[in-house]
Amino acid sequence: MKVNYNWLSLWVDINLSPDDLANLLNHLGIEVENIELTSNDAIFTLDITPNRPDLLSIQGISREIAAKTDKNLKKVINYQIPEGARQDKEIELSVTIESVGDCARYVASLIDGIEIGPSPSFISERLEKCGIRSINNVIDITNYVLLEIGQPLHAFDYDRIGNKIIVRRAKNGETIVTLEEEEKVLSNLDLVIADNRKPIAIAGVIGGESSGITEKTKTIVLESAFFKPELIRKTSRRLKLSTESSYRFERKADIGILRTASLYALHLLLKYAKGKSVCSIIDTNTNPELTREVPFSFEKTNRLLGKRVEKEEVNAIFNKLGFRSNGDDTNPKIEIPSYRRDIEIEEDLTEEIGRFIGYDNIPSRFGYSNEHPIIKEERDILPIKRIMTSLGFSEAMNIPFIEPSWVKREGENPIELKNPMWSDKNILRVTLLPGLISNVKRNLNRGEESVALFEVGKVFTREREEEEMVAGILAGNMPINWYESQRPADFYNIKGTIEVLLKELNIGGYQFSECKDPFYITERALSLNLDKSTIGCFGLLCQDICKADIFGFEFNLHKLLSSPKEKIQYLRTYRFPPIKRDLSIVVDEKTPYDRVKNIINSIITHDVKIELIDVYKDPKIGNNKKSLTIRLELYHPAKTLTEEEIKKDMENVIKGLSKLGADLRK
Amino acid sequence: MKLHELEKNARKEIEETATSEELEKVRIRYLGRKGKLTEILHSIGNLSKEEKPVVGRVANRLKIELDQLILIRKKNLEESRTLGLEDLSLPGRKPTIGNLHPLTILSEEIINIFISMGFSVVEGPEIETDYYNFTALNTPPEHPARDLHDTFYLKDGRLLRTHTSPVQIRIMEKHSPPLRIISPGRCYRVDTFDPSHSPTFMQIEGLWVDKDVSMADLFGTLKIFARKTFGGDTKVEFLPGYFPFTEPSAELWIQCPFCTGKGCSVCHQGNIEILGCGMVHPNVLKNMGYSEFLGFAFGMGVERIAMIKYNINDIRLFYQNDLQFLKQFNESKL
Repeated sequence: MKVNYNWLSLWVDINLSPDDLANLLNHLGIEVENIELTSNDAIFTLDITPNRPDLLSIQGISREIAAKTDKNLKKVINYQIPEGARQDKEIELSVTIESVGDCARYVASLIDGIEIGPSPSFISERLEKCGIRSINNVIDITNYVLLEIGQPLHAFDYDRIGNKIIVRRAKNGETIVTLEEEEKVLSNLDLVIADNRKPIAIAGVIGGESSGITEKTKTIVLESAFFKPELIRKTSRRLKLSTESSYRFERKADIGILRTASLYALHLLLKYAKGKSVCSIIDTNTNPELTREVPFSFEKTNRLLGKRVEKEEVNAIFNKLGFRSNGDDTNPKIEIPSYRRDIEIEEDLTEEIGRFIGYDNIPSRFGYSNEHPIIKEERDILPIKRIMTSLGFSEAMNIPFIEPSWVKREGENPIELKNPMWSDKNILRVTLLPGLISNVKRNLNRGEESVALFEVGKVFTREREEEEMVAGILAGNMPINWYESQRPADFYNIKGTIEVLLKELNIGGYQFSECKDPFYITERALSLNLDKSTIGCFGLLCQDICKADIFGFEFNLHKLLSSPKEKIQYLRTYRFPPIKRDLSIVVDEKTPYDRVKNIINSIITHDVKIELIDVYKDPKIGNNKKSLTIRLELYHPAKTLTEEEIKKDMENVIKGLSKLGADLRK
Repeated sequence: MKLHELEKNARKEIEETATSEELEKVRIRYLGRKGKLTEILHSIGNLSKEEKPVVGRVANRLKIELDQLILIRKKNLEESRTLGLEDLSLPGRKPTIGNLHPLTILSEEIINIFISMGFSVVEGPEIETDYYNFTALNTPPEHPARDLHDTFYLKDGRLLRTHTSPVQIRIMEKHSPPLRIISPGRCYRVDTFDPSHSPTFMQIEGLWVDKDVSMADLFGTLKIFARKTFGGDTKVEFLPGYFPFTEPSAELWIQCPFCTGKGCSVCHQGNIEILGCGMVHPNVLKNMGYSEFLGFAFGMGVERIAMIKYNINDIRLFYQNDLQFLKQFNESKL
């Protein structure tokens, strides 16, 4: 909302520079978003919180300034009923509220002799400073009253409506063309103002085109009403129609001000729109509940603020705010005026005291004690993240909305958004891979040679709700340097990453097996199994996903972390260096290295470390063959083994491997 | 005789190579498909019965020897490529290290500040019900404060949490006070994706419930947090605010680090809002089942704090994952 300094000054003596005024407002919780200085004025853009509809006017802001600076308001809006006006007579006009709970009060006035024309300059200028376009004297006056004292008003052309005003729910399918010349279809969830025949306004939101003020308007019906906030809010949201009126009504307008607002507007219409006479004023609720009592406790306030407040101080603040203290001294009841609908409970009063003594005057305290129980929730994500960064992967975070085409796994149904941010990305991610793949594309397009990213985050399926996953991606070349020739990332890079990750997480007893996940190319991917359950896959991602070779992995974090950890137990170290033997064998290219290794492991009787140090294929060693060079390090706790002592083992290894069809190369 | 000469030349040529490329040429010259030694080996068949075994044995042995020589030379060449260069300004052999996301780094930093003040870390689901996200937090349907949280709804009627406050309700259902918790996590609000808005963000919320806990405790706790996060001499100020789930409510503002309070495009007249906080609303305490207790709560967006702290002008950078961006953050630097 915008308010200007000069208009406020008509209401209260400010005696502050615009900056100081902004500072004062900020300290009252009225956030000043912007100050625009003009040659002789300053316009403030304020962010009014939804609990304070009373601040949506010049009068409301002035009240706060006056209370804070210990001044009285200079202006009181209190006009009398013009001479000759009939009250509550149903000759020219009648008001019927059919939907009683929806409209607690309706004040309608009839004024004739109106001549539509431009507004006086003080009105149009003030409106424009506050961000409202000047239209004509009648419309401007309704807006002027709204801005000045906060009550939305609406003017109907009497000659274009019947003499009956009915407040009722719309019929399902009933339509209205609004002042903005848009047709809206209504339902019985919407409240309308109607004449005998049809709706003439959507209550509290916008007027109808057919009943609006035109250049020819002579007689107007002025509406000043109080509508049920929830109802106005629903309609405004459903029709996507937010107006100055609906904004105030849905936050709860001041039921006590309806008549005052009407009389003020009538006064202005008589003066500035050539209004001749006020014919009648109808008020459906001449005795609304204007004040309310809220209990107050000094003890509770002191506890909440952490500061002792004095009775005189509190009473002075209540006084300035127009609150009246009744009853006993320690637990008084405070009478709240109708415009402060936000004050409902004693804590609300405590906040008022806090605001006016200033939060700066509340002490700061930190009492550390250990009596609070520590709630232990598993939170082992950071170690995984640190392992991934040590392996060269940087952490990514993606927005978890994806396109439905990413749902590829059988038996996996996505969770759909009702109001997606982007219409094509209308489901929650079922895998972290799409985000990471798009990150790879973006980085390669930006000239990165080497992309290694990981992400920890939730995926969502109807079957399993939320699951936290860890995923990674590797693409492009390995980082370039001067001491090695550059090569593209390959399967063994991602496999090595997984192996180190598992080792560092102290997870043993896992198996790799065939990967059936549709995101991966079966021949270049494996799945990771722990305790006979698959916790995810890794390997080459399908080519149709991206042009470059992208290697990825994705594991269920919970399953990964809850798997039985290998207990850390100290094992002896060897004081004596091992004897080393390199074994070069030629085997069928389809023979997995794992089998070779297992055979060696099962045969050697000494403690042994087995490391693969060379693999190659060459027609010279035969087609469909590969050569493996394996380094064996054989240890003994009490000595270095001799050639003689390992001879038997080595012979048995060669014998054992020959059953695999392996040839020893010399 | 011919073989003897060939061996002498080959050994010499191998010895004299200076690069692997030259070595490869020598290898092809002697051992390639049409190499000198290869041709001799091929022509053995044409020799006389007497010559055949002798030449065959010598030539075959020579081939093995040359193979080995070339291999050794190759290794030497590769080593000498860097050996003896003695240019100590060459970059070292660096293992590649990745970086944590700045939001992870900052979250951990903030979490650890609160852990040091006795808070426990708790987490909860990202898909929530209307009850936990709004109603239990004193924001019933059609409450105007719902405007502050434009919500992503799911087709099944549930929603993506707009803050991590629902975790507080869930924890309070399981544990009784006294209680001191923080709940970090991902939240969602319908927003455009532009330099200052994102449909998803990280939030850290805190809750302290006890027999007697006051605004003074709230202010004291958060001042420690602000000074540890932004530096000990940061000017900190609390202003009145509004949240449906706290009463009284406050906002924590710090002096704008960009203009040091003079006023700039980033701040409001020299100040920046860091977080919202307040005393837990009695209705919320009632919903948690602890009307006899008092409590304070606070919540902050991690992106916002990161943007202020690291001088980042576009929130989208956190979710675009450019390596150029990610590589600028490491824990010891921040």
